[in-house]
Amino acid sequence: MLLVSILLLPLATGLVCLLVRSRPTLERLSLLAFAAGALLAGRLGARVIAAESVSALGGFLYADALSALVVGLTALVALVSGIYSVGYLRRDAGAGRITATQLHRYYALTPLFVFAMLLVTLANNLGVMWVAIEGTTLASVLLISFYNEKTSLEAAWKYIIIGSVGISLALFGTILTYYAALDVPGAKSESGLNWSQLVGLARQFNPHAMRLAFIMALLGYGTKAGLAPMHTWKPDAYAEAPVPAAAILAAGVLNCALYGIIRFYVLAEKCLGDHFAGNLLLGFGLASMLVATPFILVQRNYRRLLAYSSIEHAGIMATALGFGGRLGLLGAMLHMLFHAVTKPLLFFCAGNVQQHFGTPYLWKIRGAIRTMPLTSVFLLMATLAVTAVPPFSIFQSEFTVLSAGFASNHDWLAGLFVVCVVTIFAGFLHHMVQMNLGVPREETPRAVVCPWKHGAIALVAGIVVVLGVWLPSPLFQLVQRTTQIIGGAP
Amino acid sequence: MNLPDFQLASHLIVLLATLMLVVQLLMVTQRMLITNIRLFAVQSLFLSGIAAAVAFFHHAPHVYFMAALTLAGKVVVLPWFLKRLVRKIGIEQEMHPWINPPTAMLLCGGFTLLGYLVARPFADTGNLGSNTFGVAIALVLMGFFLMINRRRAITQVLALLCAENGLFLAAISLTTYGMPLVVELGVFFDLFIAMMVLGILVYRIRATFASIDVDRLNQLKG
Repeated sequence: MLLVSILLLPLATGLVCLLVRSRPTLERLSLLAFAAGALLAGRLGARVIAAESVSALGGFLYADALSALVVGLTALVALVSGIYSVGYLRRDAGAGRITATQLHRYYALTPLFVFAMLLVTLANNLGVMWVAIEGTTLASVLLISFYNEKTSLEAAWKYIIIGSVGISLALFGTILTYYAALDVPGAKSESGLNWSQLVGLARQFNPHAMRLAFIMALLGYGTKAGLAPMHTWKPDAYAEAPVPAAAILAAGVLNCALYGIIRFYVLAEKCLGDHFAGNLLLGFGLASMLVATPFILVQRNYRRLLAYSSIEHAGIMATALGFGGRLGLLGAMLHMLFHAVTKPLLFFCAGNVQQHFGTPYLWKIRGAIRTMPLTSVFLLMATLAVTAVPPFSIFQSEFTVLSAGFASNHDWLAGLFVVCVVTIFAGFLHHMVQMNLGVPREETPRAVVCPWKHGAIALVAGIVVVLGVWLPSPLFQLVQRTTQIIGGAP
Repeated sequence: MNLPDFQLASHLIVLLATLMLVVQLLMVTQRMLITNIRLFAVQSLFLSGIAAAVAFFHHAPHVYFMAALTLAGKVVVLPWFLKRLVRKIGIEQEMHPWINPPTAMLLCGGFTLLGYLVARPFADTGNLGSNTFGVAIALVLMGFFLMINRRRAITQVLALLCAENGLFLAAISLTTYGMPLVVELGVFFDLFIAMMVLGILVYRIRATFASIDVDRLNQLKG
């Protein structure tokens, strides 16, 4: 029942919002739905810690600790983005940048988008998971082309074409997995793609087909996660989408895509047992970090800067999975958690800056702290948090990943990891300091405090600070449980 | 099932798969947009025929369902939708590929060889239609090639659909019965939503840029 209601809630909200026209009703509906969704996700977490797994509708829906973690993060990101979007869209509408129709479209599409993401994590069948991941693409395309400008149409076109090619490779991978499992005795063809059945039989899969299947799935879902060299849609999409939607893309869809990769990773590792899947992930992960580094250093547009940061963090998670071992998996899951919590803060602050100064270019903005002190302080804090400066939690996860690198005798690669992280830290901080501190170029009016936007920022900032010093034990239990699922309880 | 039946079915499926490949090659060389859409419909018709043959000889009712869905969706509705879109935005009929047709044909021959090479370890599991896996891979590769080779937004959509046809053929040839029904339905549903979304985008690109050359989409860099 719980699983069904988690899914039905955003779906029903989206469908109702299609019919509703009045702005206050739309705002209330979406806030209510996302708040209830977050509560339900919390209950799912508790349920999964108590029992190993939950399933519903005759095994069609299935949730273990890994699903529960991603569901929780998705629900949280949806909620804070929902709060932020109220203030953000009111301002856009007030400035005449968007029409009532566009506003309506945003509120109808976002819950459907969230529904697709939740279906990714709760579907037992790998085929249905594929359908849901493609669904996230389709629900978000019209959010990326939201402003109807030339650049946003270009970004949306790139996103759907690259995304569709990628996702068709993932479908190929899914078909091959089905084939690999077909001749295993005890496999039933009707439930042949159900994760709960596949994971028990993985050792007997046809290894040749499974190897090819993992490559295809990694290329496909890696495109959605934005791993290099399939990352090219990401800077455009993140920079052109309205800020709250971009935050959901960066902190929600990224996790869903990685979730898909992890499911296939578990099957491949069990079937092949030679760390083939891990080595591939390591390659793509480090390549993403290496690609992101120079683009962050020379970046002129802070919205694109955030996108490259997201490519870097996707790379870090893939690298962590690639290092493997208990430490590597723990690092990957912790990083997924901390990154998803920190990223929205950065996006929301950047959104405030963009709405106030009306430009996404770094060089046009100086001394933001004089005109918008509150946002600017949070932005600097978010910068430090996302580049892994010690009191903040991302430092812990990156340090765990690094230890995993040395523990698995990848000394050189671990060194490369450090070089990338440090260079990105320097580049990021340089850009942000120039933008926030110093003397303003011209007289810009002081920004007014918007309760919705700053409320969302304060909420996320509170969580980031708390997670920096204290990881609640149920949450840590959940993360540990996910590493057991990925590592395969022996 | 007795033996002659099986051989007949096997020949029929190979014949239809080969025809799919031939139609794909025609699409690579054909310059007119409307003809391309018609060729896609013909290719989908052959795919639907393969599904129906598999369903008949295996007595698998849910594959019939898939054959019917392909027939209704990819042979009738999607081509109709695309043609309507082409008429509505009144675009130029002739397409300008990057690579000239003879070279493209040679490349496609290469893709077919590559498809058979990749498919070799999977070949002939004794299942009906398993020897068409090479064709399926070739179709997917040619779909991707078409996507790069054409400049118009709408032909990229068409190329994506061709690659999708290849994937459906792969699902049939590898797993005998195709994928579980719920997955097939989901994939089809996604395909239709994707077409609607792409239609909206093509329309807006046309309205904003007064062209659907994807070359014009070149502002975002770095």
